[in-house]
Amino acid sequence: MNKRHSSSLPYVFLLPPMLILAVLALVPTIGAIYLALRDRMLQYADSHFVWFENFSRLAADRRFLNAIKVSAQWEAVTVIGTLVVGVLLAVWLFEKTSPRTRNLLSVLLIIPVLLPRVSAAFLWKFMFSPLLGIVSWLLGFVGLGNIAFLSDPGLALLAVAFVDIWQWGLFFAVIVLKLLETLPPEPLEAARIDYARSWEVYALVALPMLRAPLVSLALIKMIESLRSFDLIYVMTKGGPGIATETLDMYAYSQGIGLSGDISYASAMAVLMMVLTTALFTIIWKRAKKWQE
Amino acid sequence: MNKLAYAGALAGLVFLMPVASAADSCSVPQLKVLAQKTLGLTTLEKSLADYRKASGTQVDLVYFGENDRRGKSRLDASTKAGAYQVYYVDEANVAEFAAAGWILPLLKYYPKEYDYNDFLPGRRSVASYKDVAYFAPLYGGGDFLYYRKDLLDKAHIAVPKTLEELQAAIKKLNNPPAVYGWVARGQRGSGMNVWRWSPFFTAMGGEWVGKDGKAGFNSAAGVKATQTYMDLLKYTPPGTATYDWSNAVESFRAGKVAFMIESTPFADWMEDPTKSSVVGKVGYARPPAPLSSAGFGHGFAIAAYGSKDECTRQAAGKFIAWASGKEQEQARLKDGVFSDYNRSSTIGSPYFQQHVQPGIVAGLNAITDTTRLNIWSSPLWPQVGDNLGVVLEELFTGTRTDVKAALDDAAKYTDAVIARAGRRN
Repeated sequence: MNKRHSSSLPYVFLLPPMLILAVLALVPTIGAIYLALRDRMLQYADSHFVWFENFSRLAADRRFLNAIKVSAQWEAVTVIGTLVVGVLLAVWLFEKTSPRTRNLLSVLLIIPVLLPRVSAAFLWKFMFSPLLGIVSWLLGFVGLGNIAFLSDPGLALLAVAFVDIWQWGLFFAVIVLKLLETLPPEPLEAARIDYARSWEVYALVALPMLRAPLVSLALIKMIESLRSFDLIYVMTKGGPGIATETLDMYAYSQGIGLSGDISYASAMAVLMMVLTTALFTIIWKRAKKWQE
Repeated sequence: MNKLAYAGALAGLVFLMPVASAADSCSVPQLKVLAQKTLGLTTLEKSLADYRKASGTQVDLVYFGENDRRGKSRLDASTKAGAYQVYYVDEANVAEFAAAGWILPLLKYYPKEYDYNDFLPGRRSVASYKDVAYFAPLYGGGDFLYYRKDLLDKAHIAVPKTLEELQAAIKKLNNPPAVYGWVARGQRGSGMNVWRWSPFFTAMGGEWVGKDGKAGFNSAAGVKATQTYMDLLKYTPPGTATYDWSNAVESFRAGKVAFMIESTPFADWMEDPTKSSVVGKVGYARPPAPLSSAGFGHGFAIAAYGSKDECTRQAAGKFIAWASGKEQEQARLKDGVFSDYNRSSTIGSPYFQQHVQPGIVAGLNAITDTTRLNIWSSPLWPQVGDNLGVVLEELFTGTRTDVKAALDDAAKYTDAVIARAGRRN
């Protein structure tokens, strides 16, 4: 027993991956912190330490504060929307279709998520066009034509989130459907014998049984939603105004876009890293409890 | 003795010949060009194989969209990566690239026989920074007032000569959803909404920077220009507040719009029967006074870090000269591309005179004396213009309503940019 405790074998196996992880994670992190403390701009060869000036600029930057708000809204709408669509669609398919039809529909439902984000964004951008798009044409039949979804500050974020949910909600529906198929039928049948209505069977029996995988799906989607730059960039470029400008979009426009202020963008990235790490640590600890 | 000296000289010549020949040919196997797709470059691609045979240099064109092209070239230059030997540069970033030393003065490497002075004066002016030529124009122009002749005739409206007349005509012809009176760029960007807004700003007497060295676009002129622009947006198709130039042009050539002020190369697009529903119905006039025509130019420049040695710089200069030469301009015309002309000799050529619609030629002559650069010619322009574009888009889309306060914000941002730049000098 004692021999096993004193063995150095675990360290031998752990050391190489830990070293690789350290290089992969620490080098860019240290690089970002170093840049955030300087005044490096792409158009100038020189740069100097300005210490926390970039962070104090951020505190007074209305676009940055707006970007935090938009990012939070984006996370909430896309994560909740994806889970709601995924669960409802899966339950409907499980309840109403035969296993053979379900398999066929599952293939179709996976297609949107297989589309590259940029392609999906262009596709929907054209479809949302008020003058020439099919959405506007269809809405015209019910007297709602010519709505500029992507130019309306109140609708733009929802329109882009709709595309995100269209891609991921349908995919999640397939996953939840397959999870439902793995459940033992007895508890569901017992509930039905007790005169439970369909929604009660799922809300009170089936879905609680799937709590652990559903929490995992929610976490996956939360991380995925943080990386929706390509979708938003193609569809709105952060507009109208700054209505869809998320943190990564704003960091890009300051760092790589026309401004070239990479130190300022790095300061944003460092703050984002700290915020998301803290937030996800809290959520992760909570999620563990929910899964129990 | 003479024979001996002659033989010695001959031997010396034979010995030196390979060296001389190598210096002459200065062989560069490959040039990478960071470019933006234009109709003219599509024509050029067809003769790249011939260029390779003649020069021994393989030219690879790598295309990006306008904003991405600017961002990518800045990244390539500022990090000194030097992956490209030639950059596609335009009037909006030539000052920044030239001031930073990312592109080289062109004329040293531009062979004289390609006649740089044949480029139109307006093109040469936007291709220069501090009177030094940095790029050879491939594409450029000014502004036309595009109008629907059929709609004006039907409503008995004369072609507007002043801004007031234009505003009145737009209101009169606005009949949505069949036809909208006006369309313009609304989308953020120094080359998007700011570009189209600038002639309004300068027409109202606006100055980009005041005598105190501070931003001047929050002046009364800036406010008036913005309010005028916003007033015109009331007569545009839905979504115009975030339109880029392609959305504006497409809605005009779809027959949905009566008036538009846009760049002159789009005249050719209006007369393309495969894509335009308004062929033969469009008139091309001088922008109504006091608006000027916004001059612009895009072209190829030698990338300083990508072209490190003298030999590569010569090869890059030679390629740029060939790509922007008279023969290429004629090849574009023969390919049906009448928008990408830059030389006096091209406009004067019989082919141009015979094939370009007389209305377009008359329009081009009418704007010669009013075409000028309206944006702020400064290395800080991309940063300043980009931020101003965001503020304008906020106003156009209604997410902000106080014009003066919004422009004050943009001016404050600009003053901070100027101050930070001053700290480095």
